Parts: sequence; structure tokens; C-alpha cells
Amino acid sequence: MDAHIKKVYVPMTETGFYILLCLRQPGHGYGIVQQVRKMTNEELVLAPGTMYGSLSKMEKDGLIRCIAEEEKRKIYQITDLGTEVLELELKRIERLYQNAREALS
Amino acid sequence: MKEKKTEFKIFTISQYEKEAAYLRRMRQSGWKITAIRFPGFYTFEACEPEDVVYQLDYNRDSAANKEEYVQMFADCGWNYLFDFVDYSYFCKPAAAFQGAEEKSIFCDDASRLDMMKRIALGRLLPLFVIFTAIILPQFWMHFYTLDTHPVMGIMYIALFVLYCVIFLVYGIHYYTFKKKIGK
Repeated sequence: MDAHIKKVYVPMTETGFYILLCLRQPGHGYGIVQQVRKMTNEELVLAPGTMYGSLSKMEKDGLIRCIAEEEKRKIYQITDLGTEVLELELKRIERLYQNAREALS
Repeated sequence: MKEKKTEFKIFTISQYEKEAAYLRRMRQSGWKITAIRFPGFYTFEACEPEDVVYQLDYNRDSAANKEEYVQMFADCGWNYLFDFVDYSYFCKPAAAFQGAEEKSIFCDDASRLDMMKRIALGRLLPLFVIFTAIILPQFWMHFYTLDTHPVMGIMYIALFVLYCVIFLVYGIHYYTFKKKIGK
């Protein structure tokens, strides 16, 4: 993996993480917003300025790709590179969580 | 026929939040923005006072996909108003926000910083090019003829100072925010 990609995306923002997580299945920006609201019990409400910027950036960096357009909405899906980055970030979060749990127990 | 009024305001490139707050205040006073004309004429139309949140987004990439861009904001409840000097203006009633939702088109500081980077690239960079290609050399040349030809010299000194101030103010705005969010 590109060193540049690693530097930018690990660690990644919560928004970025949820975008990649949700786009393991094809979806559009607003679909992700709705999914994340459900997943986080209304605690995390993603906003369009952030979403549009993040989706464009990730598409440019090759982490996601646009597979279709439906009713003025672009449908994205995660790429192999995106999956790699997601795995790295997941490992990082797991390590963080394990260490925190151990230290606090 | 609804009453109209126009106000003249100048907001610099780092004052988009101030501008958004101004538009919200005006709406709360019963004036909704209908158009903005260069260099800073804000035209309002009389309306019922309402707490409506206004937001500006700077994203020139959106121009290629304007419909999808506007649709994403619309899906999230933001009405698209218009573009003015590459900024897109949106508004959403304060009552439409739910619970923990931030009254903003951004939900994290990293994306706010990204917008500042886009502004730096889109607005400051051209100015910087003009500065190094024209202002700086001219300033240097006219500096030596200040006693015999003061007018040109003074004009370029003024421009030189103005550009330095613009870069400095924006630089401070950018770096204090960057530091604040711990990047």
C-alpha cells in the first residue's frame, strides 16, 4: 500500500471508517447517513459537507469507486484498496480497545 | 409585493462562519437572503422571522457534479440557495435538527480543515502567483524610484502590504484551527 494512503487514512476519522464499513455493500451518500444513524442509535449523524468531501477524496485515492448513478445520486462501493485500509484501521481499533480494557480492568 | 432591502457587506475568505451567522441573524429578524451580487451586495426579502441555519461550502469539485452535490444536501434537509464566488449557500430550519445533530454541514473538524485547504488552494494560490509574478518585482523596481515617482511606488507598497496581510490573516486562521483540532 502507498505510504501516502497509510499516512492519510490510518488512523482515519469516524466518518471515514463508517463510509468504508457501509460501502462493503453498494450505496449512496444519504444511504450511509441513514445506516450510521441506525447503527449508532442516533448518536452519530453524518453531515453532507463532510460526506461529499470524504466521498470525493476517497474516490480520488482509490478506496471507493462509483459503480452507478441513480436519480441524481452516485452509487459507490469499496475497492480492494479500501478493504485493505479498513482492515488496517480495524486492527488498530481492536488493539486500542484491548489495551484500554486491560488497563482499566 | 414583498418588501426588499440590500446591505453592503464584505466578508473575507476566512469569515465564512461569520457570514453564515449574519444570514441567520437576518432571517431571525424577518429578512431572508435572496441574492448576493459582487462585490458584496446582499439582497433580502421580508419574511416571517424564523430560526434558520445558513452554511457556506467551498468545493469547486462539486461544479462537475452539481446535481448530485445538491441532492446529497437536500437528502440531509439542506436547501440549496445559490452560488456566489464559488461558495455554495445552504439553509436548514433550526427546528429540523434532531437531538445530537450539529447545526452544521460538517460533522467533524477534519472536514472543516479540508475545506480550509480547498479555499487556500482555490483562492490564495492564484493571489500568491500574482504576488510573486507581479507585485513583488514591481514593488522592488518602484522602491528605488520612490523619491522621483512616488505614486507608483506607494501603490505597490500598499498592494504588497495588502497581500501580506491577506496571506497572514488566512495563515493564522488556518494554523490556529489546525492546532486546535490537534493535527
